Amino acid sequence: MSATVQARLLCGRALREGLRSPEALLPTVFIPLFFLVVNVGQAGKIFPSSSTAFLHGQGYAAFQLPSSLLLAASFGSAALYLVEDIEGGYFDKLRAAPVSRPALVLGRLLAEAVKSALLTTVLVIAALPFGISIASGPLGFVLLLVLTALWAVVFAGFMQLIALKTRSAAATNSGGLVFFPLLFLTPNFVPRHMLTRPMEIAATFNPVTYVMEAIRSLILEDLAVAPVARGFGVLAVLFVLMVALNVRSIRSYD
Amino acid sequence: MKPAVEAHSLVKQYRGRSGTVDAVRGVDLQVSTGEIFGFLGPNGAGKSTTVRMLATLTSITSGTARVAGIDVAADPDGARRCIGAALQEAGLDPRQTGRELLVLQARLFGSSSSAAATRARELLELVDLVDAADRRIKGYSGGMKRRLDLASALVHEPEVLFLDEPTTGLDPASRLTVWDEVRRINGRGTTVFLTTQYLEEADQLCNRLAIIDGGVIVREGTPQQLKAEVRERRGLDADPTLDEVFLDATGRTRDRLAGEVQEVVA
Repeated sequence: MSATVQARLLCGRALREGLRSPEALLPTVFIPLFFLVVNVGQAGKIFPSSSTAFLHGQGYAAFQLPSSLLLAASFGSAALYLVEDIEGGYFDKLRAAPVSRPALVLGRLLAEAVKSALLTTVLVIAALPFGISIASGPLGFVLLLVLTALWAVVFAGFMQLIALKTRSAAATNSGGLVFFPLLFLTPNFVPRHMLTRPMEIAATFNPVTYVMEAIRSLILEDLAVAPVARGFGVLAVLFVLMVALNVRSIRSYD
Repeated sequence: MKPAVEAHSLVKQYRGRSGTVDAVRGVDLQVSTGEIFGFLGPNGAGKSTTVRMLATLTSITSGTARVAGIDVAADPDGARRCIGAALQEAGLDPRQTGRELLVLQARLFGSSSSAAATRARELLELVDLVDAADRRIKGYSGGMKRRLDLASALVHEPEVLFLDEPTTGLDPASRLTVWDEVRRINGRGTTVFLTTQYLEEADQLCNRLAIIDGGVIVREGTPQQLKAEVRERRGLDADPTLDEVFLDATGRTRDRLAGEVQEVVA
């Protein structure tokens, strides 16, 4: 049986697992929406759409939406379920089967991509009452889904690495907090050129910046190749890196 | 006929911050095809580590191991196709149903969807879980989980089945049920490598035994041979129990234990 089929089977299992734990999904919808409402409530009046060029005629909520989408995509539960599998012995059961080691890693990551695409769709629909539209059209929306799904895979991959290394739910959970500094060292409230110099430098070195700018461009503007390509480029590098590190980690897992 | 399990000078060392720990210090084993082989030892003796090395779950520091004639380090996937493993923790996913778990396991071993469904049905009947097949595993009792774990180790009809303390924590009735399953599985030609701390279990089930202590094998033979050796060496009138053989092999005797208690009382 090919590794692709094995990964698909394990992805199906991970999706079933997610559907059977709806209580774990609710915060991933609620908290990003909460941040959207709070951030727009705090800064919306400073940036009226009529006189703020970087909003391209939309409200400030459209500028803030990428942060919420990335936050939601970073709430993947793959690593915590992996720790449960390790602690309960099911991970050993899978390792004792002739399953390709990359498939063991990719099964859960694929499931995170699917869950993230669905979650992003729900959040975009929930954001419509804020007057948000996807300026790049249906193709732009599909690209937005792919970008957030890829980010979900990258971040879940990072969390899985911690899970494989520590085998501890507490340590894995703490690893997720890394996202918050990454999120705030971005052009989160204003475009990059409006940041103070030290923040601009930090944002330039932060890969999340390019993913955020790609998503933001798809929401605010007609399809623009350069920022979207940069976002995909950064994610492609991170995706390959995370999958490679996960596979290496699982191969040396004792 | 090739041995079902063969290990030569098997060593496992763990390196940690506090230094190197020798978990297994040179185990030599040979298990014939069709046997139920018992692997006994006190806690921390190296039983589970040895089983994990043989089942491809833990790397081997030095030495060689072959299962069903396949070198587990050189061709782990080949060995995995011949091995079934039910380890100390019943390795189950509580969010799946029993049937889903068995179907997935069979699919991962290469069965088609329909073959996996058929095999799952057969195994659910074998371990008497048909009525609970479509319930989530988290609602199963300890005995049901053990039986399902056993079934999941059999989806691909393995040549060698590793059972690591399969009855730990079970009530006597569930333990007897597992024993029956083990006999039935062995009756179909599967070699069983069983670790246990229950000496009665070993006495009831195993054709041959090895006792490991401190990472090395300290006794090996049939239960009768091991008992006879202790009886002759200690000049006993009757065969000792396997408990006494075990205590003797691991450096303890009832006399010594009694002496220790008297000293405490004094």
